[in-house]
Amino acid sequence: MDYFVKASKLAVGYGGKPLLKDMDFGIEKGEILTLIGPNGSGKSTILKSITGQLGTISGTVYIGENELRSIDYKDMAKKTSVLLTERVRPELMTCYDVVALGRYPYTGKMGILGREDEKIVLESMEKVGITTLKDMDFQRISDGQKQRVLLARAICQKPEVLVLDEPTSFLDIKYKIELCSLLKKMAKEENVAVILSLHEIELAEKLSDKLLCVKGDGILHFGTPEEVFKKDIIMELFDIDKKAFEMYFSKVVFYD
Amino acid sequence: MKKENKNNNNIRYILFFLFMFALFIIITILNINIGSVHISVSKIFKIIFFRQGEKGYYNIIWHIRLPRICMAAILGGALSLSGLLLQIFFNNPIAGPYILGISSGAKMVVALTLVYLLEKIGRVSSITLIIAAFAGSMLSIAFILLLSKYIRSMSVLIIGGIMINYICSAVTDFVITFASDSDIINLHGWSLGSFSASNWRDVGIAFVVVTITSVTIFFLAKPISAFLLGEAYAKSVGVNIKVFRVVLILLSSILSACVTAFAGPISFVGIAVPHLIKRGLKTSKPIIVIPACFIGGSIFCMVCDLIARTAFSPTELNISTVTAIFGAPIVIVMLIKSSKGR
Repeated sequence: MDYFVKASKLAVGYGGKPLLKDMDFGIEKGEILTLIGPNGSGKSTILKSITGQLGTISGTVYIGENELRSIDYKDMAKKTSVLLTERVRPELMTCYDVVALGRYPYTGKMGILGREDEKIVLESMEKVGITTLKDMDFQRISDGQKQRVLLARAICQKPEVLVLDEPTSFLDIKYKIELCSLLKKMAKEENVAVILSLHEIELAEKLSDKLLCVKGDGILHFGTPEEVFKKDIIMELFDIDKKAFEMYFSKVVFYD
Repeated sequence: MKKENKNNNNIRYILFFLFMFALFIIITILNINIGSVHISVSKIFKIIFFRQGEKGYYNIIWHIRLPRICMAAILGGALSLSGLLLQIFFNNPIAGPYILGISSGAKMVVALTLVYLLEKIGRVSSITLIIAAFAGSMLSIAFILLLSKYIRSMSVLIIGGIMINYICSAVTDFVITFASDSDIINLHGWSLGSFSASNWRDVGIAFVVVTITSVTIFFLAKPISAFLLGEAYAKSVGVNIKVFRVVLILLSSILSACVTAFAGPISFVGIAVPHLIKRGLKTSKPIIVIPACFIGGSIFCMVCDLIARTAFSPTELNISTVTAIFGAPIVIVMLIKSSKGR
């Protein structure tokens, strides 16, 4: 099958030591792939590796026709954009300024926004519903709002692949739902390949076209929600016994 | 609404720059005018523009006051810009060449070079001093970068910088104590910081080095702006982080090395000025803040130098004494504010 983003025999990790290995997965444009798995399983490491933030250890990642390693920084920035978990604390920048940094790959030598750029920045803010925050100091808004500003930044980079590391953190239920519909819209309407990691498995099941279960030294399962969302897989993935699971999560519907 | 706001911002920037230019001109005139020897304005005017006047006055204006003013302006700007770059690099508003021990590293190597070369050859060129100061800066920076690998907390890193300060100052004092008499007078004044020994040749060299470096920094405003969200985001929008980090550190070191070579270590300008400028402009956009910091640093140093030479005239204060009196309280306020913010 011809995926747009594709990992084959991929091994990732830090300092030359593979944390996860022998991974094969991929998605097409217009699809949403969600990484699920316990804390510390390496979801972020995979995301960092497929965006080139972190060097891969072995194996290859393809984006479109090209191998990740052969794409230079500047082209890569036009192809993929990211929402990271690390905290940013820019001094004295308005939310508009922060979002506008997403236009970086498209602006000229001095980084001045053109009319078209300004339009795209405002559109992106509108999509995420943060137009009212435009002139607020980024340091003075709540964590949830910051998360949405950074999401708008990623969107205005006009990527073909959008990578989000735990985008739902700090968001309340309303914005979680909004985020999911936004991602679906981006995927279906703008034909973006969306790759994200989530802790909320119930969201992952509803949102995703493909799920990647990360555990141990590699991938436990890769497939559609129907294939992955089975009681035993999920319980093995998160190391929970049947009783405890059913106590709180019995409402989650599993496919048989 | 958007348009209006943008216009408001632009007006703010323009007014701010006009204000700075006015201040720059006023302080320059004051600096030429005020001194232990009183010279009337009309005489100064004639001396500067028609090169006419009594020999004594002519020399005071052309060979003492003017080069000194130029030096303060050039090096003040360099220092402020050097601080700004370090703050961006370390993502910390209280980073600066003095507080991180970079100036002291430069001071130490310059002192060693001076003493050694004066003894061997009897003279030292300005270029040699800049190179020595640059080597010293790099030495301190290398140490700080090494520390920053192990220490994540910025405040602890700054304590590391202060320790470097002490070590380098101790070595410098040691060298000065055992240097032969004639060197000591020069060395001692210089190691505390002063613009007093400025001459046109040095001004020329400083001008060339600082201008080239500062213009380069201005044209790097775009990648610097991406750096404001941290390295990972900068990389994700297409900045070659490995190269850019090195460039940022090198440019900052060249600037602070140039300052140390010609005027000795000068405290607090690198932290206080960028802070005041950013507050005044209400932005940290590099494309605006970089030129503003330069002019701001010039003004700040010219004011401090004026105070240094006139407050207790004929006795001159060290420039650092004055910059510390104005700069340290600003930094303390920043510290209190930043700890409140968290």
